[in-house]
Amino acid sequence: MEKKTRVQNFCGRTRRQFLWEAGGGFTSVALAGLLGDDGFLGKQSVAADGTSKFVNPLAPKNPHFKPKAKNVIFLFMYGGPSHIDTFDYKPKMTGMDNKTVDVKTFGRGGHKNKGRIVEPRWKFKQYGQSGKWVSELFPHFAECVDDVAFLHSMTADSPIHGSALLMMNSGSIISGSPCLGTWVNYGLGTVNQNLPGFVVMLDPRGGPISGPKNWSNGYMPAHYQATVMRSSGSPILNLSPPKGTTAKIQREMLDTLSYYNVEHERLRATNSNLAARIASYELAFKMQNSAPEAVDVSQETEATQKLYGLDDKKTATFGRQCLLARRLVERDVRFIQIYSGGNHNDANWDAHGDLAHNHNLHAGETDKPIAGLLKDLKQRGLLDETLVVWGGEFGRQPTAEYAKGTGRDHNAYGFTMWMAGGGIKGGVSVGKTDDLGSAAVEDRMHVRHLHATILHQLGLDPNRLTYFYGGLDRKLVGVEGADPIAQII
Amino acid sequence: MARKNRVGRWLLMRLIGLSLVLTGSFVSPQVIAQEPADKPAVAKATAEQLEFFRQQVKPILESRCIKCHGGEANVRGKLRLTSRADVLRGGETGPAVSLTEPTKSLLLDAINYESLEMPPTGKLPQREIDILTRWVKQALPFDDKAIVIKPHAPGPPAVDAKARKFWSFQPVTRPAVPEVQQGGWVKNPIDAFLLAKLEKAGLAPAPAADKPALLRRVYYNLIGLPPTPEAMRAFLADESPQALEKVVDELLDSPQYGERAGRHWLDLVRYAESNSYERDGTKPFVWRYRDYVIRSLNQDKPYDQFILEQLAGDELPERTADHLIATGYYRLGTWQDEPVDRVQELYEDLDDIVTTTSQVFLGLTLNCARCHDHKLDPLPQRDYYRFMAFFHGINRYGVRNRQSVAQFSLRDIMAPREQAQHQQEVQSHLKQVVQIEKQIAAIEKRVVGDFQPVEKEDFKFEQHKIPLLKKRVPRLLSQQQFKQYVDLKKKEKQLKNVKPVALTQALCVTETGREPRKTFILARGNAHAPGKQVEPGFPEVLSFPDPVIKPLPPEKKTSGRRLALARWIVDRRNPLTARVMVNRLWQQHFGRGIVESPNNFGFQGTEPTHPELLDWLATQLVEGGWKLKPIHKLIVLSNAYQMSSQSRPQAIDKDPENKLFWRFNMRRLAAEEIRDTVLAVNGSLNPKMFGPSIFPDIPAEVKRGQSRPGEGWGNSTPEEKARRSIYIHSKRSLVFPFLAAFDGPDTDTTCPIRFETTQPTQALEMFNGPFAHRQAAVFGNYLRKQLGPEDTRGHVKLALRRALQRPLTGDQVEQGVRFIERLQKEQAVSSAKALDYFCLVVLNLNELIYLD
Repeated sequence: MEKKTRVQNFCGRTRRQFLWEAGGGFTSVALAGLLGDDGFLGKQSVAADGTSKFVNPLAPKNPHFKPKAKNVIFLFMYGGPSHIDTFDYKPKMTGMDNKTVDVKTFGRGGHKNKGRIVEPRWKFKQYGQSGKWVSELFPHFAECVDDVAFLHSMTADSPIHGSALLMMNSGSIISGSPCLGTWVNYGLGTVNQNLPGFVVMLDPRGGPISGPKNWSNGYMPAHYQATVMRSSGSPILNLSPPKGTTAKIQREMLDTLSYYNVEHERLRATNSNLAARIASYELAFKMQNSAPEAVDVSQETEATQKLYGLDDKKTATFGRQCLLARRLVERDVRFIQIYSGGNHNDANWDAHGDLAHNHNLHAGETDKPIAGLLKDLKQRGLLDETLVVWGGEFGRQPTAEYAKGTGRDHNAYGFTMWMAGGGIKGGVSVGKTDDLGSAAVEDRMHVRHLHATILHQLGLDPNRLTYFYGGLDRKLVGVEGADPIAQII
Repeated sequence: MARKNRVGRWLLMRLIGLSLVLTGSFVSPQVIAQEPADKPAVAKATAEQLEFFRQQVKPILESRCIKCHGGEANVRGKLRLTSRADVLRGGETGPAVSLTEPTKSLLLDAINYESLEMPPTGKLPQREIDILTRWVKQALPFDDKAIVIKPHAPGPPAVDAKARKFWSFQPVTRPAVPEVQQGGWVKNPIDAFLLAKLEKAGLAPAPAADKPALLRRVYYNLIGLPPTPEAMRAFLADESPQALEKVVDELLDSPQYGERAGRHWLDLVRYAESNSYERDGTKPFVWRYRDYVIRSLNQDKPYDQFILEQLAGDELPERTADHLIATGYYRLGTWQDEPVDRVQELYEDLDDIVTTTSQVFLGLTLNCARCHDHKLDPLPQRDYYRFMAFFHGINRYGVRNRQSVAQFSLRDIMAPREQAQHQQEVQSHLKQVVQIEKQIAAIEKRVVGDFQPVEKEDFKFEQHKIPLLKKRVPRLLSQQQFKQYVDLKKKEKQLKNVKPVALTQALCVTETGREPRKTFILARGNAHAPGKQVEPGFPEVLSFPDPVIKPLPPEKKTSGRRLALARWIVDRRNPLTARVMVNRLWQQHFGRGIVESPNNFGFQGTEPTHPELLDWLATQLVEGGWKLKPIHKLIVLSNAYQMSSQSRPQAIDKDPENKLFWRFNMRRLAAEEIRDTVLAVNGSLNPKMFGPSIFPDIPAEVKRGQSRPGEGWGNSTPEEKARRSIYIHSKRSLVFPFLAAFDGPDTDTTCPIRFETTQPTQALEMFNGPFAHRQAAVFGNYLRKQLGPEDTRGHVKLALRRALQRPLTGDQVEQGVRFIERLQKEQAVSSAKALDYFCLVVLNLNELIYLD
């Protein structure tokens, strides 16, 4: 960035300097009396003019207690991976293929009491000191099991993609609530003021069902909104000006804009929004450098790139996103969500047709990158403070969806997710499903408990993190509240 | 929901269980429950038993149960397990333990996962179950001191005389206009109410704003658009005392007034044009409701009539198109077409209606009393269900498919003669469709037998049909047959797109019949756990007699309940309706309401800063026949409204938040106003009103976030794209990015106040975004067209004047000219392009989007 600022006194002014330093969250330089009430931990100070209240909603906030994790990487396996074909080993199903059994299921095909068994299609082996059984879908990831806590008794409120996605992302099957990443940024603010605090990366095949609803800030203000980041090209919407508009031209424009804005603001000094808006333009300009730098994986060694599978076409996309996630974590981006799978049907983990084809594809694309991510975080000492979460919106049924074929319908009665790093115990498995994996039977956990655990690791009390809206103190974990999963922390 | 179901199952079992108990020879649990709490805890418990309790039972209770069934607040199911008496008294569903039939105790049922499943996180280990079973069988030895019982939290506010005295529940009476010292400043009573408080605080009102600031203020607040340079010139030239009044009358009469005022209303009623959830389908004809709102406000329809029409237009004696369209109010919310639990989903829909209606019209958060008594307001759970009962006849928006939406939510709105003619058109159209579909089916028949199960599923969706057939060329279909199929599908699509229906229907409410569903209080809001039956009624704290709901004339197919509710809401004696509305009008002009929580006039709402003024305005509204325009006029012609927004050191020390309104509050334009201003300033705004919504460009990278990129977003002509933002299609899962960037409303629930954030994303949108650059170029073209290509100084002046509508200083013009020259000289930019860049700077000015 050229230092050709024509407004010479720009940085000389105390108040503005203050705004500059304290106010520049990516999604926020905002200061709003409007937010005065909800900033339960809000770092409030008085702006340097001594009068107007200054509230930066995204300034780093103190957690409720000492956190174990600083950042979260949520690997979202959209469509619903089959737990019994991946991590929930069901030896008793061996030899049962095609047998019709009594089993209660509920999926997109409705409630059923009987079904034809589809035996898991992959062989399982034990790995690591913990002896964890993992199917051959995840040979690379399997090497990391001693760092991972598996949650085998997850349950959710809906076996239908749309509402189940909302549930996993926002804690409610009803449209309109803010999602996890929003809550985290609301609770903790963001350390890096030049990058978004909440990043979503999508599968090139498309977004998940309901698209942006899955990373919506709901009833919270836009400070806590997600930024969709692309792994190639211009990473953020409108980050680059149209072709032909050079940085020098932009600088000229900014300086002229600043001239008018500063003059306008001079007589309106008590309105700190005006100064904030001036600062936001400079910040946006700075971001044009900082964001591309953050996503520039060419700075990584070949060995690192290989570790994430960037050298293989199959794994390159997800690998690149995982590598970006690590780079963003290094730059203090608080919450990163990566989608494996997009669009509909076999473009994601939604294996209604050919189970083997579907899961070979999606596991094949993600296994090496995920293993790479975990190993890389660990070798850099980042895994301790980075919580990695893996899972889909639900699991899949043990039985076939149709009279023919191996497709499995959705299953919210029991499924597997895993967590690693960020103070989570490694090499443990919690909860059980029945012998067929049709429903959780032991230590049943709800999505709310997963959310509670994530918040807890970040130093937030899930039952105290509230936002007043519509007459109620809202919580991510719902009015009933939920505790973190004690067995893994 | 899982939890609700669990509780539901439990309640059901209990009801069955209870009836068994009552008909059998057992002692009724009620009798046990009445065992006095102060009776010596366990007279017969031996020391050994107590030790067993302390060593074995207590740790289980403490680690597994007490968190939800003890402590102060939030005791689940009203069941405490912190003392013997508590256990025996039980919770919502009766005693937890039966001393006469210990093995039939609820508690044992629950921990064995037989009816209720407790604890919900997972069944206890068998060892712990055995201990608790032993404990129950020993008649509950309990050391009441062992578990420290925290003091009980105060319960929800009671509906009593004290609650009834709360200010917003009191009848509205017209307060006397206060005496003030500086009577000269008082133009109308509003000023007297404000000044009285200012004088008391030793503050003086700010001097009058200058005329340019004032004109911009009234333009934006009344029509949401900037004044033209001509309008500004005329206003500055008019030195008569009536100058402002003339402008205000003009603006209130202009059609653009309804577009601005309408936007405020649409925020409140969660207006959007799609259903959210997986399919996020478009709501047919929903835009008629938007047009109805704009028209009604332009006509200055009395607010009471406006309410009656929206809540019960179909139940009013006269059946007009508008009366039906207005009830689209009920259809604006989200709709889950694939609910996990159909029974529960009906109540989610009804909750949306209760939430919106109670907050928007009454400023009551009745929604907080759905699962339990309201914790902060004197609104018992019973009130929620009595209120919901007014809506309990309403059909769901639809069930799953479009046909059902048509059946439950679409009605003809034409006159009989037109209807007959239309019927003919429909018939002939239908004939053509049937014919084509037959031909299509004939071809499809050749391949459907060949489909795999997944393909069968896919084949239900239009976009998969052609590819699935193509796969089977030439094996099952000839190339020619396939081509014919493609042509037929194309024709079919065209035909379906030009349905004659499009002009004749409205989205509206319907009911199941004249007899609505029965209403029960639902335990914890669970549709599977009906409790006591209730009839329609008003919140008890407001002390109105129960409604007498007269049956409607026989031709009406509804219950008449909504009409009864609407008539109560507009009853002059209702203490909330007028207060809530005038507060909203005040907020539109002053940036904050007299009550700062416009949807919450309850105990937790903020107290009015000027209660007398609020009541005075409320009586003014009602006595003026509920007309809104006169209130607007009264407000904007007051001296209070005309104050400058300039700060003064002494005043800001005393009242930094401007609670007393010693100056006018600056405000940033709303998202729609910003976009509309850009189009107005560069001369391209298309003032066309009404009709189906428009689709301005959304960048491809945003659409890529959809599971089917681009789905549900059309493409309008350039002229259509330049229409006002209120006409932009409002799609819940794909919010128009420009409006989202500038804090557009969240449409899933009622939005009474817009956020006003400042973020780099806004800067990126306005400085780098394709829309901003395109509009800057349009602006440049406009200037060149007006003044020729060479007149740089003229360009700069006109650009600034169109954007800021005020006289300019020489230096301001000079800066612009020098910028353009520098770009040409130093950056080798053409003169036209340099002007476009200057226009972009102008569109980004703080002064453009902040009002003094």
